[in-house]
Amino acid sequence: MKLGTMFQDVSSSFLRKPVTEKYPFERRTPPTRLRGTLVWDAETCVGCGLCATDCPANALEVFVLDRKEKRFALSYHPDRCTFCAQCVSSCRHGSLAMSNEVWELAALDRTSFTIHFGDETDVELALAGKTASNAEASSE
Amino acid sequence: MEKVQTSRSFTVPIGPQHPALKEPEHFLITVDGEIVTKAVVRLGYAHRGVEKATESRNWVQNIYILERICGICSHIHATAYCLGVEKLAGVEVPPRAQAIRVLVAEMERIHSHLLWLGVAAHEAGFDTLFMYSWRDRETIMDLLESLSGNRVNYSVNLLGGVKFDVDDELARLIYDGIDFLEKRTQHYLDVVTSDAMFLQRTRGIGTMTRSQADVLGTVGPTARASNVYRDIRVEAPYGAYGDFPVKIVLDERGDLEARFVVRIKELFESYRVIREILDNLPAGELSTRMPRRIQEGETVSRVEAPRGELFYFIKSNGTDTPERIKVRTPTICNMMSVVKLAVGHQLADVPMIVVGIDPCFSCNDRMTVVDRGQGQRQGWTWEALRRYGIRHYQRLAR
Repeated sequence: MKLGTMFQDVSSSFLRKPVTEKYPFERRTPPTRLRGTLVWDAETCVGCGLCATDCPANALEVFVLDRKEKRFALSYHPDRCTFCAQCVSSCRHGSLAMSNEVWELAALDRTSFTIHFGDETDVELALAGKTASNAEASSE
Repeated sequence: MEKVQTSRSFTVPIGPQHPALKEPEHFLITVDGEIVTKAVVRLGYAHRGVEKATESRNWVQNIYILERICGICSHIHATAYCLGVEKLAGVEVPPRAQAIRVLVAEMERIHSHLLWLGVAAHEAGFDTLFMYSWRDRETIMDLLESLSGNRVNYSVNLLGGVKFDVDDELARLIYDGIDFLEKRTQHYLDVVTSDAMFLQRTRGIGTMTRSQADVLGTVGPTARASNVYRDIRVEAPYGAYGDFPVKIVLDERGDLEARFVVRIKELFESYRVIREILDNLPAGELSTRMPRRIQEGETVSRVEAPRGELFYFIKSNGTDTPERIKVRTPTICNMMSVVKLAVGHQLADVPMIVVGIDPCFSCNDRMTVVDRGQGQRQGWTWEALRRYGIRHYQRLAR
């Protein structure tokens, strides 16, 4: 039976720097495997849509415009994403990766929570197609 | 003023919102003076419908919703589920993947036990221990982040293997972290077994005999602190525990001090197993192919979570979504011991007795119980609840 068993921890801490980090003034380098925002490589994608099927949060939408011409677009919603990296594992062609640099994703408006990947005209076509099919579904 | 003496007992409601409780649960404690004469617990404030939700998601998506049942032991939930589904599908997971699963499970146990040590010390008013144990816990959190890319929901598991490999550089980081933590853990063991002030709150409090622990169906460190030989890692080794056996940690005393000692000694066992796995990590693939549809059948999967036995029942009807998943978490098994042990102790000891089982309330709330008063209680199945809902609104429409 002793008293003040942690006295030495406390007294030695007086001479030490605080262990808390001064974020956001000082930033640590994130680990290489950190799961940040999603990155898509259009070159290798085959438009199978397995990433969207396996996504537990419905954060991905794959638009196949022309399979032969390899014209695909991808919509990613970081606000729904749970950063589990299942899409990265599901992709058999290594088209998806998670960035360890972009991970501070807070924003003041919702528009930044939808990221469109792909050629600009393809994205426009895909979104127009989506709006048309939504209108069709709601009129039924 | 005239002093009135009464023999009536007094009932103190604690929770569901209470500063001493970190999660919503309701305790109704009847006291006679300072002494607890009766304790009742009411569960169900954090029901999230997780089990039902799994029935509308495919086998892969379910890993992540089940992982979120518990924020502290997320990996072990996913492991229990993956082991069950792999058993149903008849898929053999590569040995390297099995070893990495166990490695992460033991790292998670370290994180969970250090977290509990801090919380328990805080409940006892020993905030110095709380702050230092949580500072040291950051070491293991950082290691888990380096390994998997996330501090809390590691998402290491895949159906048929794991996502992340352990290379030499990472192994060296883990060795260093474990060496540091081992020294600190020895210090904490000395503190909880020798600090006079702290021992007043733990020694001889909430003593549970071996037969009580058996009858109440306790699991995990709570049972082992009462000398009950119960550890799934030892009794029914799963994954790589067959190759990397764990020694069971037991204590005879059964009081709160024993629960501290058992959990802290388990940390040393975890350090030893982690070193052993890193020394002898089997070479080979990280994952194997899994079918999208799981053949018809049902199975049971049991693993040792940091809080005790975690039980999964999985039923497949041959499609790409499960028909039924039932989860039984260790807290629900240990909760009855709190109600029994609190009787006869001072009201001031109740928070320590509650925290002694390492409770995780959000994990265990997954059922509706209707209390009709006068001792009539009725559990509701999903079907009964559905029928009730339809009838209720039919009545309203009339």
